[in-house]
Amino acid sequence: MITLEMLNPIFRQVFDDESIVLTRSTTADDIEEWDSLTHMNLVIALELGFKIKFALGELQRLKNVGEMLDLINRKLA
Amino acid sequence: MLFNSLVFIFAFLPLVLVGYFLLLHWRLTVAARSWLLFASLVFYSWWDVRYLPLILGSILFNYTIGGVLVEYDDLKRKLVSKKAIFVVGVTANILLLCWFKYLDFFIGNVNALFGTGLPLLKIVLPLGISFFTITQIAFLVDAYEGLVEERNLLNYALFVTFFPHLLAGPILHHKEMMPQFDHLRNKVINWKNLYFGLALFFIGLFKKVIIADQFAAWATPGFDTAPSLTFFEAWLASLSYTLQLYFDFSGYSDMAVGIGWMFNIRLPINFNSPYKATGIIDFWKRWHMTLTEFVTTYLYAPILRSFGRITFGVSLAAIFLAMLISGIWHGAGWTFIIWGGLHGAALVINHIWRKRKLSMPRFLAWLITFNFVNASFVFFRAKSLEGAMKVFAGMAGVNGVTMHRSLKKVHLLERLGVNFSGSWLDGINGNDRTYIYALLALVFAVTCRNSMQAVEGLKPDWKHFAVLVTIAFWGLLNISQVSEFLYFQF
Repeated sequence: MITLEMLNPIFRQVFDDESIVLTRSTTADDIEEWDSLTHMNLVIALELGFKIKFALGELQRLKNVGEMLDLINRKLA
Repeated sequence: MLFNSLVFIFAFLPLVLVGYFLLLHWRLTVAARSWLLFASLVFYSWWDVRYLPLILGSILFNYTIGGVLVEYDDLKRKLVSKKAIFVVGVTANILLLCWFKYLDFFIGNVNALFGTGLPLLKIVLPLGISFFTITQIAFLVDAYEGLVEERNLLNYALFVTFFPHLLAGPILHHKEMMPQFDHLRNKVINWKNLYFGLALFFIGLFKKVIIADQFAAWATPGFDTAPSLTFFEAWLASLSYTLQLYFDFSGYSDMAVGIGWMFNIRLPINFNSPYKATGIIDFWKRWHMTLTEFVTTYLYAPILRSFGRITFGVSLAAIFLAMLISGIWHGAGWTFIIWGGLHGAALVINHIWRKRKLSMPRFLAWLITFNFVNASFVFFRAKSLEGAMKVFAGMAGVNGVTMHRSLKKVHLLERLGVNFSGSWLDGINGNDRTYIYALLALVFAVTCRNSMQAVEGLKPDWKHFAVLVTIAFWGLLNISQVSEFLYFQF
């Protein structure tokens, strides 16, 4: 089971911002650096970090941390 | 068939709309969709019926491969791996595109490199092939990765061929398009959508017929026929093309989205005032937005993934590569490769700049961005590298600066070495209107609301209606000659 605390360091690293504290409702609007391109950096970093694989077509829609967490946990289940 | 033709506006579009909603009114959903598919195929064949089998073949092939991929896990006998089927499917699409688009370019380069005299095949590029190939590659990727649920040939064929987007986008994703035809609310005519759709369509027509075609009259001679250009001729030729391309392509996109609305189908927006951009990252969030999304999702992400680690340097390399490929996708020629490479390099610089948290005054940022974009479009437009160099030479003042002879009285200019002539813009068939219009159009594109914002602010009152009718008639009365959209060549 992946938790928010486990996502946090990856977010901090990808967005180069040590002040990020994630909640389930964090979205791309809350993090300045989070745009469609860095979004890809983020999901690929999550893929590598948790040894999962997203489908390319579902990446653009993953703009909310809660959904992201649920999807990762579904993939790991 | 062209959106900007009388037969489309007064015969094809009304007929298809009335037929579609009548069939839906009689609850003949399948017939209504078949009618739209049939209409889209007529729309495609209008240009050249010989390419109808090509697009039908492409649809059938991809639908079949997609179907096998979707059902693969339930198959009892698995003769080949799922990945092999997927790779064959994608490769076939890429090969088809290569055959029609890149073979002559390849032969030309082989000839130049080895001094051989292989004959060029002079293959005609089928309309829309670049677009229907990449939407279908995305479909195969999604089918392979388990994102495709719906399996219906009619819906699939309609998704690929739906005439508003078939020839030059906006680039659609099947997931956002296919369910829309099923929504109950979309099956009855919606007068508000029809009105807004018509408004957007006629704004697009105006942008194409009145603005873009006017600038074409200056860009075309400047790029294609003038043997050399003076300073102002070159700058006005390149600015004319930059403005032509924007008003042409965004006009086309407005018309496509507008037609979609008339059918209660929401197509994605392609432009958001790109010439207001204050950085090249910003530019690509505003210019050909559906292509940016496609490139980010289906090129950038897999390239990044293939590196197997995420560092800033890796992401920059992936950006550059993705833009290079996007350049090649636009056309077979070194000019397009350079164009893609330039944008890739500019994005890399912009990302480094942002990472270092450097700043710049807004106006300067806009000025650099716009001039970079304008210069990059010289490569995009020129038919050859020599053609591009000709325009750049003019812009750099290699052929001198010539101004209108009425300015001869300004001695300072004369002392600076400026020449004077009554025919100072003859190289681009220009006159005083050229620079006035270019300036006006540029100020308009940089400061005013774009068509999408204008339509959103549309109120159902007589004042707005009168403006729309004026724009519509102005556009309609100027549909005189056949004038293709620029993006049809890609």
